[in-house]
Amino acid sequence: MTHEVVRWLKPLTSLKLTIICLACAMVLVFLGTLDQVHIGVYEAENRYFKSLFLFWTLPNTGLRIPWFPGGYVIGTLLLINLIAAHVARFKLSWKKAGILFLHSGLILLLVGQLFADIFIDRESQMRLDQGQTKNYSESLYHDELAIIDTSGNDSDRVISIPDSQLHKGNRIALPTDSLEVLINDFYPNAALINPSQLPAANYPHLQLGPMADAVEMERTYKENERNEPAANVSVIQGGNVIGTWNLAAGFPRPMSFDAAGKACQIVLRPKRFYKPFAIQLLHFRHDRYAGTDIPKNFSSRIRLTDPAKHEDRESLIFMNNPLRYRGYTFFQAGFDNNDTTTVFQVAQNPSWLIPYISCALIVFGMLLQFGMHLVGFVKRRMVT
Amino acid sequence: MKKFVPWIIAILLLLWAVSKMMPAKEKPGLDLHGFGRLPVLVGGRVMPMDSLARVSLSEWNHHGVYTAADKTVIDPTQGLLDILMMPERSDTAKLFEVSNQDILDIFGAPDANGNFVSYSFDDLKPFFGEIEKQAGLAEQTEPETRNAFQRGIIKLRESLQLYLQLKNTIQAEDSPDFGEEIAAFALAIRPGLDAVHARDAGKPYNEQDFERILVLTERYKSLTQAKYVYAIPNPQEPAQNEGWQHISEALLSAIRNGHVPYAATAYGHLISAYRAHDVNSFNAALHDYRDYLSKTIPEKLSRPKLEFVFNQAQPFLQAMALYVTVLVFALLSWLIWPRTLGKTAALILVGAFLIHTAGLITRMYLQGRPPVTNLYSSAIFVGWASVFLCIILERLYKNGIGSVCGATIGFVTLLIAHNLQLDGDTLEMLRAVLDTNGWLATHVVGEALGYSAMYLAGLIGIIYIFRGLFTRSFDETTSKTLGRMMYGVVCFATLFSLVATILGGIWADQSWGRFWGWDPKENGALLIVLWNAVILHARWGGYARERGIAMMTVFGNIVTSFSWFGVNMLGVGMHSYGFMDQAFGPLIGFIASQVVIIGLGLIPLKYWRGIRARQSQAGAGDAEKGIHQRDAEITEVL
Repeated sequence: MTHEVVRWLKPLTSLKLTIICLACAMVLVFLGTLDQVHIGVYEAENRYFKSLFLFWTLPNTGLRIPWFPGGYVIGTLLLINLIAAHVARFKLSWKKAGILFLHSGLILLLVGQLFADIFIDRESQMRLDQGQTKNYSESLYHDELAIIDTSGNDSDRVISIPDSQLHKGNRIALPTDSLEVLINDFYPNAALINPSQLPAANYPHLQLGPMADAVEMERTYKENERNEPAANVSVIQGGNVIGTWNLAAGFPRPMSFDAAGKACQIVLRPKRFYKPFAIQLLHFRHDRYAGTDIPKNFSSRIRLTDPAKHEDRESLIFMNNPLRYRGYTFFQAGFDNNDTTTVFQVAQNPSWLIPYISCALIVFGMLLQFGMHLVGFVKRRMVT
Repeated sequence: MKKFVPWIIAILLLLWAVSKMMPAKEKPGLDLHGFGRLPVLVGGRVMPMDSLARVSLSEWNHHGVYTAADKTVIDPTQGLLDILMMPERSDTAKLFEVSNQDILDIFGAPDANGNFVSYSFDDLKPFFGEIEKQAGLAEQTEPETRNAFQRGIIKLRESLQLYLQLKNTIQAEDSPDFGEEIAAFALAIRPGLDAVHARDAGKPYNEQDFERILVLTERYKSLTQAKYVYAIPNPQEPAQNEGWQHISEALLSAIRNGHVPYAATAYGHLISAYRAHDVNSFNAALHDYRDYLSKTIPEKLSRPKLEFVFNQAQPFLQAMALYVTVLVFALLSWLIWPRTLGKTAALILVGAFLIHTAGLITRMYLQGRPPVTNLYSSAIFVGWASVFLCIILERLYKNGIGSVCGATIGFVTLLIAHNLQLDGDTLEMLRAVLDTNGWLATHVVGEALGYSAMYLAGLIGIIYIFRGLFTRSFDETTSKTLGRMMYGVVCFATLFSLVATILGGIWADQSWGRFWGWDPKENGALLIVLWNAVILHARWGGYARERGIAMMTVFGNIVTSFSWFGVNMLGVGMHSYGFMDQAFGPLIGFIASQVVIIGLGLIPLKYWRGIRARQSQAGAGDAEKGIHQRDAEITEVL
């Protein structure tokens, strides 16, 4: 029985598999890097590295054919291979100690990154004008259709529908007051234009107001551009349409309506991540090298308030020096509006410590391994 | 006696190199060295005039030289003096180079077949409108998608703009004698201010005085538009612009303070003397001004002075020359007198390395930074580290391989650096995110060490293939030694690139909040790590023997070049500040050459000259088995 298992497991422990996986990883990384020129870092990350397979779409059919393993498949195979090899050939000896350390560091790193990738949506931004306070950050890539119940005294109740559910004809039941939302029309990316700029009066568009129409655009993958969807949505209660609105994420204006006596709002906006604390921008500084426009430092003095934890203090966020608080990291990512607006990248990564530990293990393992080789080598040379 | 021959040759060559680095004797006449040492603030740092001249010239033409109207090449500082003080002369100097045929067509130039065509400022004057228009159009295209014409025309406009700014650095270029103008201005301030005050108070005032001060104020205000180089020290206000002023600001401040700063007057004297071809007055005024500087801002003089000496010495050029000699001696040692010539090569290699080191350390001191801060310095450092490894290899094996590798990599990387130098100031200030010595010293230096080891391993691989395929000097010891060298160097490369890549992740976590962002440069580093892992595992598993490893290390050259230069050409991501595009052709050429070498390595062993020679020597001995014998001790590992 055990023999059977071992025989069956044997291929998983082989060095050949290691080499094939590593080579595939190289091809994947290379292709992904080249494609970043066309589809941007974020999209390439999703298609190549955070995916099971690379797909090739058959022209004119929409049929997606997997043609190369993606990052998750290669990473998992490598992980299994590594663990299997160690289990199968485990032998406690000094000669192998270095390799053991090195590989356990690698395992930790891979698992930690896989965990962080799958379970944490990390990329969001917080834009603050001088003096402004916010308790949420906004996604750079995703939007949400939010239905906000503003009838509460202290706080609003927000129901968020992710953009993955926003497509034409979708009917979404809300977990409250027997409300439903119907997406009558949806543009994944839209431009806001003046009605007079419409190519023709009957050109498909969503009217947002007397001065603005939304027209559909190609999705963009450029690094400094964002897709801003627009939609025509209806809110339905008990089969009756309460209201229908044209909404655009590029112009996130909440629309008010009344649902069985409760004052509510509906808005299409960048997806928000609420935090249990608030941050206010006190002052933004942009230092340049004397007589040049080369940035020397950006820094934001902020005030952090967290009533639950009795925190109310000032802090300085600058290049290479982020604010870490309650599992979040706020780092200086940019600025705007003539140096009066600061932009923080907000990352949530509870496993941030793992790379440090794995790094220590890997370095130690490598030094041990190569160190022993070197000592052996020098000894042999001394003899000859 | 024979024992000393290598030492004598090496010491003589080294002395020759050092003597070339000594500052040239000053010729009688204008004190060019004195002027070249004067400090100015450019691009956020204080540099000597000499550097300003060199950096500017390298922006304009690919040799970085000043070619006067009569086609003679003159000293950069002399050229700068013309630009600063006698622009009517420099306007006719052939400073600006254009090679793009589409741009040349604008000027109605005949087909240049891709060669550079030089123009003077005056030559280009009739086309300013068109250049401005085309550059404006080109600018509307995003930087990554600009074509060669668009990049070229924008660069040309920048070159002309820089030239205009330089002409207005210490004077207004249209002034017949700015020294006299400053003197007149100094006399006009007091009466002018009196007139202004009187007019404001509604009292009678001298209209002529009033008009004069008004006109001059307007004149110097418009001169501020040319602000680029800050030549006037302003020790009274050290907080403002780090204590430096443009000439226009100095003169405008004179209206507020009632007197012209001494430095502005001093430059005025220099201009008057220079324009009047009065060498003695020029040198005397320069002497006075330098006296003044050493009394007021002594702390700001030492680095520019050292930088001047460094510019004159050009240690990297001398090191390059020595590396070539090393290569000649080492290659010869494989043919004749292996011991003597090999030893000579090794000794010269050490000498070249010392000069290389001196240059590297001087740069570090001047910048106050770890050795790698930009693409240029990475080339210098990668070469340096490779040569260091090679010296160790040569000391261990004494077979000339270390010398050949060291000389080749040292020479090539310095040549690359020499070409990258043309992108501008190589001691430039660092953008905010890089402004951290700790990470520069660990992550960036570690990556560079990884690159050095990769190239070294790759070069040993090339030597393995070439010697095996083409020479009869490929006995079993040689091939085994080469195999062991490759393995050792690959281990070294793995160690450094893996550790440095992880450190990079930690840096990213510290400053950007994520460990790994799939940024192109990160991916490039990852590719190197992965490839090293492939090599090592292939060797441990016995899938690749010496020849296989040799071909793999040659492929490593491709991977490393992609990571070092290739990803920068993509122009995406957070690391894309080191962008460069002229290098695309050479990079493709290099990759193609490596592919050809790998192809040569694939030729069946029976055609290898080295193997055949060995077979004929050993009779029927199975040579293939010989090279394929692997190090039993290493396969034990996993």
